[in-house]
Amino acid sequence: MIAFEHVGKRYGGRFEALANIDFRVRRGEMVFLTGHSGAGKSSLLRLIMRLERPSRGKVRVAGHDIERLHHSQIPFYRRQIGVVFQDHQLLFDRSIYHNVALPLEIQGVEHREAARRVRAALDKVGLLHREGALPIELSGGEQQRVGIARAVVNKPALLLADEPTGNLDPQLSADIMALFEDFNRIGTTVMVASHDLALIARLRHRTLRLHDGRLVADEEVA
Amino acid sequence: MSRESAPSPRGARTQRPAGGIRWRAWARHHRAMVLDSARRLLRRPLGSLMTMLAIAIALVLPAGLWLTLDSARLLDAELEQSATLTAYLEVGVGDSEAGRIEQALAAQAGVLDTRLITAAEGMAEFHQALGLRDALARLDDNPLPASVVVRPADPAPQAVRRLAERFEAVPGVDEVRLDLAWLERLRHLAELGQRVTLALGVLFGLGVLLVVGNTIRLAVENRRQEIEVITLIGATHAFVRRPFLYSGAWFGLGGGLLAWGLLTLGSDWLSAPVSALAASYGASFHLPRLGLEGSTILLCSSTLLGWLGAWIAVNRHLAESRPR
Repeated sequence: MIAFEHVGKRYGGRFEALANIDFRVRRGEMVFLTGHSGAGKSSLLRLIMRLERPSRGKVRVAGHDIERLHHSQIPFYRRQIGVVFQDHQLLFDRSIYHNVALPLEIQGVEHREAARRVRAALDKVGLLHREGALPIELSGGEQQRVGIARAVVNKPALLLADEPTGNLDPQLSADIMALFEDFNRIGTTVMVASHDLALIARLRHRTLRLHDGRLVADEEVA
Repeated sequence: MSRESAPSPRGARTQRPAGGIRWRAWARHHRAMVLDSARRLLRRPLGSLMTMLAIAIALVLPAGLWLTLDSARLLDAELEQSATLTAYLEVGVGDSEAGRIEQALAAQAGVLDTRLITAAEGMAEFHQALGLRDALARLDDNPLPASVVVRPADPAPQAVRRLAERFEAVPGVDEVRLDLAWLERLRHLAELGQRVTLALGVLFGLGVLLVVGNTIRLAVENRRQEIEVITLIGATHAFVRRPFLYSGAWFGLGGGLLAWGLLTLGSDWLSAPVSALAASYGASFHLPRLGLEGSTILLCSSTLLGWLGAWIAVNRHLAESRPR
C-alpha cells in the first residue's frame, strides 16, 4: 500500500529531516510510527499526503509514484486518504455534522446520501447525539473523535493519524486507538504516528521507529 | 451515489466521479456558495458597504466622463450634419438675381442643397435673434446682403474648403464664410476627452481590482485554517476559490449598483443648471442618463472586475501553499 524507496527530505538545502527511508506497508496492515519529537514522523506523513515532495527517492502509494501526480490530480489523490491530526483541525464556525460532512461536500456527494454516511461515521465514534453541537462545546477527546469521523466518512483505503492521542489522558487514548483498530479490522490500512510508547507496546502492531530522520527499527509483531 | 454501490476504493487512484453526478454536484456547490458568500457579506454590513462604496467611487468618475462624452458625440454628429457654408452676395443684388446665383451654386458638384435668404428675410431673422426690433426699425435701408446657405455633400473640412474656393469665383458672391475651425477644435477636444476617459477607466479599473483584491486577501487570511483543512482532505483549487470569487463578484455588483445610483443622482442634480447653461447658448443639451445598455455595461464590468480581483487574491494564496 505504501512504499518508501530510499527517501530523503531536506529543508532549505541543509536540515535533513529524513534520510534514506526504506520500508513497505502492506494493504490492510496497521503500523505505528514512533520516535522522539522532531524525529521526522510528521515529515513522513506529509510526504504520503503529498503535502511535500521528497528530495531524494520515491514514495509509492497503491503502486503509484505520487511524485508523478499532476497538481490537478492531487486533490483526487488525497480524497483516498483519511487523515487525523493531533489538533483535530475542526472548523469552529460549523456544527459537528457539517465538519464530518466536509469531505463529502468537497466530493459533491448528494445530500441524503451524505447525511446517511455522516450519521454512520458519527455513530461509529459514539457522537451521533452531538451532531448539532459546535466543536467548541465538545471535550478534547470528543473533538478528536469528530476528527476521526471526518477522516473515515469517505471510507478511505488508507487512514493516517499524526499524534491522535497527543493531548488525551490514557483512557481516552486507548479508546481512540481501539477505534483505529476497528477500522483496520474492516480492511483499512492504518498508519499512526505516536510517541506514546507504553500504549503502542500494549497494542502489539508493527512499529517503525525513527531517530533523527533515520529508520532505526522496524519491529513486526507476530 | 455511485460511490455507495461500489466497494470502497482500494487504491490511491485519482479517480473522479462520473460526469452527470459531477455536474450536478458542481451546480449545487455553486448555488450554495452564491448564498454563503452573500450571507458572509451581510454578516459585516458596514465593512461590506465601505468596500462597495470604494468601488463605486472608483467607477463613478470614468463612467460619468464616458456618459458626458457619449452625449457630446451625439452633439458632434449633429453639428457635422449641419456643417454649412454661407455665401454672402454683394449688397444691392436683387431678389431675382439672388435666385439665379443660388441656382448657379446649387448646380455645382458636391452640393447637397441650398437655401436662399433674401435681404429681407435676413433682417427678419436678425430681429428675432437679437430682439432689436425698435433699433432696426429706425434704419431706412436694409444694410444686410442676401445670402445662400449651402449644405455640402461631404462635410470633411478639406472638401468644404475646396467648395468655398469655387463659390468665391462665382460672380455676385461677395464672401464665403465657413466655420470649420471651431468644429475641428471640438473634434480634437472630443478625442482628447475620449483618451482621458480611457486612461482614467483603466486606472480606476485597476483601483477596483486592488480594492476587491485587498478585501478578499483579508477574507482568505481569516479563513486560512479552513482552506488548509479542505485542501488536505481533497478540495480542488476551484472549490477553494469558489466562495471567494462569489464574494468578489458580490462586492463588484454592489459597487456597480452604488455607482449607478450615484450617477443617476448626480445627473439629476446637475441637469437643471446644465440645461439652463446650454439654453443660454441657444442649444438644447441635456445631461444624459445611463440607459439600459449603459447600466448593463456598468454592472457587468464592475461584477467582472470584482470577480477578477478575487481571483488574483486567492490564486496568490494558493500559489504560496503549493507543495515544495
